[in-house]
Amino acid sequence: MQRVKFIDRMAQGKLSRREMLQSAGAFGVGLMALPRVARAQGGPLTCLEWGGYDAEEYVGSYVSKHGALPDFSIFSGEEEALAKVRAGFAADVMHPCNYSVSRFVNAGLVTEIDTSKLSNWADVFPTLQTAEGVMLDGKVVMAPADWGNSSIAYRSDLIDPAFAEDPSWAIFYDEAYAGKVSMLDNELVIQIGAMVGGMPYEEAYNLTGDALAAAAKDWGAKGVNVSRFLWTDASEVQQAMASGEIIAAYAWNDLVKNLKAEGIPVEYASPKEGMFTWFCGLTLLNSGKADPALAYDFIDAWLSPETGKYLIESSGYGHANQKSFEIADPAEVAAMGISDPVAMMASAKLFLTPTDEVQVEQNRVWGDTKALKM
Amino acid sequence: MSAGSARTGLSLLSPAFLVMAATLLAPVVALVVMSFWTQSGFEIDRTFTLDNYARLGEPGEGVVWYGIRFPFAYPVPAVLMVKSLAMSLMATICVIGVAWPMAYFLAFRVTRYKAMWIILLTIPFWTSYLLRVFSWKIVLGFNGAINSGLQWLGLIREPLEFLLYNPIAVMITLAHSWIAFSVLPIYVSLEKIDRSLLEAASDLGDSKWARFRRITLPLSMPGTIAATLLIFIPTVGDYVTPTLVGGPGGTMVGSLVQQLFLKQNDAPMGAAISIVMMLIIAALVGLFLWAIGYGRMRKRIG
Repeated sequence: MQRVKFIDRMAQGKLSRREMLQSAGAFGVGLMALPRVARAQGGPLTCLEWGGYDAEEYVGSYVSKHGALPDFSIFSGEEEALAKVRAGFAADVMHPCNYSVSRFVNAGLVTEIDTSKLSNWADVFPTLQTAEGVMLDGKVVMAPADWGNSSIAYRSDLIDPAFAEDPSWAIFYDEAYAGKVSMLDNELVIQIGAMVGGMPYEEAYNLTGDALAAAAKDWGAKGVNVSRFLWTDASEVQQAMASGEIIAAYAWNDLVKNLKAEGIPVEYASPKEGMFTWFCGLTLLNSGKADPALAYDFIDAWLSPETGKYLIESSGYGHANQKSFEIADPAEVAAMGISDPVAMMASAKLFLTPTDEVQVEQNRVWGDTKALKM
Repeated sequence: MSAGSARTGLSLLSPAFLVMAATLLAPVVALVVMSFWTQSGFEIDRTFTLDNYARLGEPGEGVVWYGIRFPFAYPVPAVLMVKSLAMSLMATICVIGVAWPMAYFLAFRVTRYKAMWIILLTIPFWTSYLLRVFSWKIVLGFNGAINSGLQWLGLIREPLEFLLYNPIAVMITLAHSWIAFSVLPIYVSLEKIDRSLLEAASDLGDSKWARFRRITLPLSMPGTIAATLLIFIPTVGDYVTPTLVGGPGGTMVGSLVQQLFLKQNDAPMGAAISIVMMLIIAALVGLFLWAIGYGRMRKRIG
């Protein structure tokens, strides 16, 4: 009412100059104060996420409590996300994995998680609660959320039957498959190449110096040349596989699940050099501007059994919450084969964490290997 | 010029100058300063050193790339620099080749609705740059417009795979993205040509071709040169296009700088490469202008 009266009087020219100035001043002061008020309540929650995880289904309870999804920034690899945060990007939550979380901790970006603020923490597999990567130096730095595999997905209708009988990572280094396969854009190309050459993963992940240079020359360059493209975006590789542009790719469980749902004949190989396994989770970053309570709500939503049920049923990943497996479709759980993370990690090669120095060197060698492709 | 008009001139210039100083000069200075630092791991060492530049020039075993030997201990920047320059040069030549006739048509053949024609030219700019690059991905892709078109016509059975993820795809995309930028300067200089000069040439017995070669082409040079530089300089450092359509084979030097800053934790080296790249481009542009006698030309045209 007051406002309408003010405008009326102003329009009729009945407002004295003093009144006018007073109001204008009040308006100005109000405007100045506004952003501060907003900041006092905290900014919006900003989460660094893997592509595809930026969906409501993964954080249902957060959305129902706060009315909307948080702001997402999508990354395609942890090193990229790390660089972004270090360059000043103010993220509150990040989704690293067992082998990469220490990079964030060492960079001094991580806040310890107070598990008492997570209502779903008690239902997390006890072995995951204390697994390396979740806990570092006795502190919980990552709330485990999802776990799964990295292996070769292939089109069973298009691939040479000899491969299907005896699958091997060698396919990514074989000229016969040039332009028909796609590796992840990651230094793993060098490491897996070394494994094809007979080196155990426990050595390959830690390659440095001349041995790394040699492996990059022998295997990295070959891997770069054979791949049609090195993928950074899971939907890109999925589309290429659906169209038959590529017939085999480095892939996570969800690609196989998604393509099968589309009726495309695709299989997940168990290569003779071994398939990989990982678990990822949510880490609190100290760069954030939002109220930490929002971040805890977000993490807690990720750990909820409902999210786990969706994760299991829609992407074929495992979930950290034991109860997810109780409420998920039993057929889907059975299709996963293994529903216990410990058995799963034992069944495959868990990605290992190199030291910062090794990681940086491998990043550099991998970048140079790609750049020199002809 | 009186003191008053100089002051007016300066005050007119100052907003633009302030913006330039804040958004161009300051970052460049920061880049120069940073290129004299070093980084190991997460720590940046702020002591002054020429190590980054020394490393760029350090001789070593090197690599052979397309028959060219790069005898450096760290050959990647040199290789990518040469590759980027070659790719940009090709893209620039394509752009000028296509844009020149378009501009000529606009200036000499279009007599009515000229404004509408110019607006039509800008239509590609109504969508974002990123979207245009993405649409090239769709056009050139495995199941893309070209491949499905050719398959439908029965000309090919299997999709052509050489269309995407290579330097050619990058050049096509760059050329398309920058074409409208080059039509306008060429058009302006063609439009400015005094038509009576052309009439005089004809009256004095020049054939159409001689008239074009002796009058139209030389007088269009300022615009054409401006367009060439306008395309060449920004495309050398482009990194979005190579990232999206280039695949690893289409990498350019901009991608390397991005990698050094964001993935390889070596921002000072990235800064040093950017500075060297700027200097090389400046030198090349200077050389180009000198070679075509730009100074003389400006004096003549006035």
